[in-house]
Amino acid sequence: MHSDIVISQSDSRPMYLQIMEQVKQRVAVGEWAPGDEIPSIRQLAVALRVSVITIKRAYLELEREGVIVTQQGKGSIVAPNPELSPRLYDEEFSEHLEKVARLGELLGLTSEEIARRTKEAAKRLNEGRMKEAGATKEIV
Amino acid sequence: MNELAVQFDGVSKGYTHFSLENIHLELPTGSIMGFIGANGAGKSTTIRILMGLVHQDEGSVRVLGHTMPAEQAQAKLEIGFVSEDMRLYGPATLKWHMEFMRPIYPRWDQKYAEELARRFDLKPEQKIKGLSHGQRVKAALLLALARRPRLLVLDEPTTGLDPVARVEVLGELMAALADEERTILFSSHNTLDVEQISDQITFIDRGRIIDSDNKEAFLDRWRRLRLVLPPDVQVPRLPGVVEVGGSGRLPVLTTDRFEPAMVSVCNELGAAVQAVDTMTLEEIFVANVHSRRERLTA
Amino acid sequence: MNYAMVRRLIWKDWYFQRTAILLAFLGGAVSLGVIAFGGRAGFTLGVILVVTIVVMLSAMTVMGNTIEEREKQTLAFVMSLPISYVEYTTSKILGNLLIFVPFWVAVVGGSLALIVVAPPIHGFLAFTVIMAVEILVSTCLMLAVALVSESKSWAIAAMVTGNVALNLVGYLVAHIPGIRRQMWGTAIYWNATATTLVASEIALIALLLGGTFFIQSRKKDFI
Repeated sequence: MHSDIVISQSDSRPMYLQIMEQVKQRVAVGEWAPGDEIPSIRQLAVALRVSVITIKRAYLELEREGVIVTQQGKGSIVAPNPELSPRLYDEEFSEHLEKVARLGELLGLTSEEIARRTKEAAKRLNEGRMKEAGATKEIV
Repeated sequence: MNELAVQFDGVSKGYTHFSLENIHLELPTGSIMGFIGANGAGKSTTIRILMGLVHQDEGSVRVLGHTMPAEQAQAKLEIGFVSEDMRLYGPATLKWHMEFMRPIYPRWDQKYAEELARRFDLKPEQKIKGLSHGQRVKAALLLALARRPRLLVLDEPTTGLDPVARVEVLGELMAALADEERTILFSSHNTLDVEQISDQITFIDRGRIIDSDNKEAFLDRWRRLRLVLPPDVQVPRLPGVVEVGGSGRLPVLTTDRFEPAMVSVCNELGAAVQAVDTMTLEEIFVANVHSRRERLTA
Repeated sequence: MNYAMVRRLIWKDWYFQRTAILLAFLGGAVSLGVIAFGGRAGFTLGVILVVTIVVMLSAMTVMGNTIEEREKQTLAFVMSLPISYVEYTTSKILGNLLIFVPFWVAVVGGSLALIVVAPPIHGFLAFTVIMAVEILVSTCLMLAVALVSESKSWAIAAMVTGNVALNLVGYLVAHIPGIRRQMWGTAIYWNATATTLVASEIALIALLLGGTFFIQSRKKDFI
């Protein structure tokens, strides 16, 4: 089960964030249901060939966000009511928006054009996700 | 049960053209430490002192609870050591080496040894002298792993290995760590490997430890701030900046003590922060060494 | 001292030199045959052959299992095993002596037996014993130097020195009045001079081996 997680070396984000995102995706998609057991920190570290300390950090953050629950001495499970959209993402989102605004200014775009391009990007992402879901349905 | 698998306290060793000075090292049981340094920085000397093969001039060394080098025979019963300049016996086969080691180590796992031979694509009947460099490294690692040691000490374990072999070896090292009582210390040029699997990272340069911390802390602390300065604004002076690069109006500050507050400070001082880049371990190491050497020559 | 490990190391060294050891033993047997059945000329030739083989054997094994560890870089592998410097040194000294000494005993014993059996050469007994122990001395010298210096050049120098010393001592001893008088005689004898000489040779061996252990255990950079 845990070898489903695949880490991308070319992804420049910190490893622990990648792992957190993949765990949350699995929860979001329903592969890991509330209450399900998830691999222990060491098990995941061995499976992904990633240091224990990184997995530990990912799990700590996931627990803080309410996505998983770690029981003393018994490993970790998906939280009964997993919280998937934390404050942290909001901050990152705002940061990126500011960047977009600055770059747009450099390119000489108006705010309407910036807004339009942002909407298009969101639409493309959505279409991409639906295609994936459709393809998965075909395989299943 | 010892909390620390390895403990160096004020260790010094002098040679004609090189010396190790005041080495402090603490490696907790169950963790994996990556040891990064340039050639000739002192990695191999430190590792040899750890193994009791070189006697330090000053300071104490304890490995798995044993004092080194006095109790090296007992310590080495629990250690698997592979170094880059180590060779197995050419005229003998891998099988011969396995049979040679087997009665020496009480926890020798013959099944695991054979399984490793399969996974590493090694033929036990083949003579060592007929193996390629990469195969020899894997053979030595096999012999070290099969004894199920409490401590693995590896000097450049992935150097010279093709990418497929590297992934296999990293996988086996991590698998060995599945047992919480096992510890690994490895030195490497390859910062990618160290970055990936280490819990603790230690930088060594010119015989001195220049930094030692857990990996996540390193990656958190170090940042590159890309600034855009309006014509009349100077580069902001921030504490913890080890290097200033880039051009006059587009400076890049490298810091080893990043705080989010730094961004607001820059903004207040009139410097727009265009980006805050994370740094790879390689970049961190190089910046660390450069800034230190510059401080010494300044 | 972990004797099990020392045994294992000795076995390893013998395993890697088994061919050389076998050939040396065969050569020694042939030389003894030449001494026994070759008449006067055969005696001289046989003796030279035997001494050569004995010296070469000790040189080969010492070079092969001691110097080579450093050259072939297997020393790090051996020292990664659960042993101390003392156990390593013991295995090399014992391992080499255990190859060399039985061979030496067989050859010397054979020579002495011949001397006792053949009246014309009875007088050679004392001289033979003194020279035989001298061969042991030069072997121990080479062993000590090889172990302590780990250098091919030094080991070769020691071998040459040992050889030269052997010839020198041979000449000198043969001219000591106490020995010379009896050497060409037909009586088997032993005297105080001979005892003194052999005793000092044995003391020298003890010094060489003891000194080796002392230096090895105090080495600060084993690798």
